Amino acid sequence: MFTRFEEYAAASMLGADDSPPRLDGKLFFSNRWERDVFGLALSLSKAGYFEWEDFRQSLITAIAHWESAPCEGQPRWDYYERFLEALLDVVGSSGVLSRDELAQVVVARRGATTTRTAAKSPHSNSH
Amino acid sequence: MTPLFQYEDDREASSAAKVRALEALLIEKGVIGSDSVDAVLQHFETVAGPFNGAKIVARAWVDPAFKQRLVEDTPKAIAELDLPAGMAGAEGEHMAAVANGDGVHNLIICTLCSCYPWPVLGLPPYWYKDPVFRARGVREPRAVLREFGVDVPTETEVKVWDSSAQIRWFVVPERPANTEHLSEQELAALVTPESMMGVALVACPAAT
Repeated sequence: MFTRFEEYAAASMLGADDSPPRLDGKLFFSNRWERDVFGLALSLSKAGYFEWEDFRQSLITAIAHWESAPCEGQPRWDYYERFLEALLDVVGSSGVLSRDELAQVVVARRGATTTRTAAKSPHSNSH
Repeated sequence: MTPLFQYEDDREASSAAKVRALEALLIEKGVIGSDSVDAVLQHFETVAGPFNGAKIVARAWVDPAFKQRLVEDTPKAIAELDLPAGMAGAEGEHMAAVANGDGVHNLIICTLCSCYPWPVLGLPPYWYKDPVFRARGVREPRAVLREFGVDVPTETEVKVWDSSAQIRWFVVPERPANTEHLSEQELAALVTPESMMGVALVACPAAT
């Protein structure tokens, strides 16, 4: 039995299809966003917005979907991309964010923040 | 030349941007706090993990009396150390340490789920829950250890400890030679989770 939600959540994934990458006893993140998306999923479920098991099932589905794609044109395997896809799915289905809000997230692009900042700066008007 | 893999150049950046936008929106709506993500990850990064086990092992190496207490009453001995709360209670309350040395090499396996000593070892490696590892660990532990690169001399007894919901075992590996000059903290840095599972020895630090 786990008394900490964090341990219960991570333990439920171990040895299963949705098992997260890890190294030397620690979760392995190769990029900052991977750590953040993992933390977001845990935080939301811990706060009761959805059942952890529902998220897991969504992740297992996202992984299975990737696996069943034809080899040609199949995107490179990326665990945390599937994780993000599953999280957006659950965030939508559980009603944490509306469809419009989700659309806003999905179209987010690199530099979106900087563009907004740049628009405020006087230099951005010079060209 | 055709590249072997066609990667979308901005895949990482695109995922990062989505995650940033998602987090910002959730914080803006008051769904989560600005420190929520760090708070849950802190558990894995600073509260429960192999860094705790390494501290326990290093103390056992420098203090033989502590080592004795550790194998006799593991939770009580762990409680003596300044470790995050919960090490000696809750998840850790049924932990038991076994020490390598004196003609004995210990290996821990697990035939049930969720019986890994998380607070001290962190998350188990990929192969730990593999039924083949578990089965072979019981049947032919020496062969399994050899595959891990640990050649146990025939005169050394191999003991296999099956972790369960009742007792979660971990190994106090042998202190490597030529480490007399190292501080307790430096010694802790040498201890790996694998060595505390008994599938690796602690390597001698590189000669400087």
